[in-house]
Amino acid sequence: MKVSIDRDKCVGAGQCVRVASAVFDQDQDDGLVLLIDATPAVGLAAFVRRAALLCPAQAIRIEGDNGGQ
Amino acid sequence: MLSSPESRAPRLPFARACPFDPPPQYAAARAHGPLLAVTLWNGKRAWVVTRHAEMRAILMDERRFSGRMGDPDFPSVTEARVAVDRNERAFVGMDNPEHDRYRRFFTREFSVRRMQALIPNMQVLADGLIDELLAQRPPADLVASLAVKYPSLVMAELFGSPYADHVFIIGCAVARHGLTQSPEEAETKARELADYVRRLIDAKEENPGDDMLSRVIADHVKPGNLSRDELAEIGAMILRAGHDTTTNMIGMGSLLLLRDDALRARLVADPALIEAAVEEFLRFVSPVQFSPRRVALEDVEIGGVLVQKGEGLFMSLPSANRDESMFGDPDSIDIGRDASQHLTFGYGIHQCLGQMLARYELQVMYAAILKRLPTLRLAVPLQQIRFKDDMQIYGIHNLPVTW
Repeated sequence: MKVSIDRDKCVGAGQCVRVASAVFDQDQDDGLVLLIDATPAVGLAAFVRRAALLCPAQAIRIEGDNGGQ
Repeated sequence: MLSSPESRAPRLPFARACPFDPPPQYAAARAHGPLLAVTLWNGKRAWVVTRHAEMRAILMDERRFSGRMGDPDFPSVTEARVAVDRNERAFVGMDNPEHDRYRRFFTREFSVRRMQALIPNMQVLADGLIDELLAQRPPADLVASLAVKYPSLVMAELFGSPYADHVFIIGCAVARHGLTQSPEEAETKARELADYVRRLIDAKEENPGDDMLSRVIADHVKPGNLSRDELAEIGAMILRAGHDTTTNMIGMGSLLLLRDDALRARLVADPALIEAAVEEFLRFVSPVQFSPRRVALEDVEIGGVLVQKGEGLFMSLPSANRDESMFGDPDSIDIGRDASQHLTFGYGIHQCLGQMLARYELQVMYAAILKRLPTLRLAVPLQQIRFKDDMQIYGIHNLPVTW
């Protein structure tokens, strides 16, 4: 799984940090998303998918996801 | 038909049949399609969006739907609300790119880590209020003694507004969020609250504190990115939102707990479940009734219905949160379900900026009530609870309890 973010879209709602804090954080200066792990381990995949689903700005993109295995 | 100026669709707002469920018209409408035609106070037709999937899509579609409250076509549930909508200067009433520019002055202040750091103090404040409650002789009104005071105390420290002013702030929020106020009253209270924050800004410039207002002044007003008047309008929005919504979730959530002994026992035995209970309560209660709203910027077909350019749409969050296609058995409370896709905080660029604050406030207060008030029970029959059918933000006016 490869994760990318679009900081231009981010509205700082914090959903990604709430559900996948091992992968996402918020910048201390502007509160917008920071990607701390662009290739998360398989065990984190479900949380990352959840973050992408809940992101209100649809600022998270996932590639190479095998769909939950 | 073509010459008829008045819509013959049912008039918004609808009455509830059961105090715990949204008006039955929404469930009936969901069975037929995602949109329900309604008539507004001024005779104009508007649409209520009732289904989850279409609501998410509309709230993401900034090209075809505007959330600009200054738009003359922007729909309002009461005449009083029109006046305050037209004068809205905070980013809640803006489209992008303007919206993001202003919201981003505040995103840092509401980050997950910042909100997490408030939890220990929230626990102190919740415990203090319960100490006060226990020092009284029962019965007491849980809404007055906990649900109103607690978010006010949290907001006072976070925002930098003196706690003693919370009665005034709540009065201003009620004038805006009511269904029965006159346009003059709503407008006057909106102005008074912005003026209040303007004076608070002056005071913080003289004597900065460790609070949101002082930090935003230093970081964004002083460098000239944000004017004092703009900050006053945004501050008024933050104060209203922070005082009114969480109060209603504490009142309604406490009532739900008191009505379900098995659920209470489960949460007392395993407090780790409280986080899931908060999400499910947020879905089930869904306090905001007539927002978000949008105006169609062009003709749009939704579920076989044509929404015409310039028509207004109300997102019924309570309806989407009971959408059978998203949540099985939606009218029952089930803390084991996945409630995470509830739309209680909205969706899209305007999704609630204070949602993590609200979540932690609720988790802390529900935990404190469960732990500290094990014998808590209703002191009156349910019929004597006054539900907020007179407000745009649903909840309860009173909750007499004993212990």
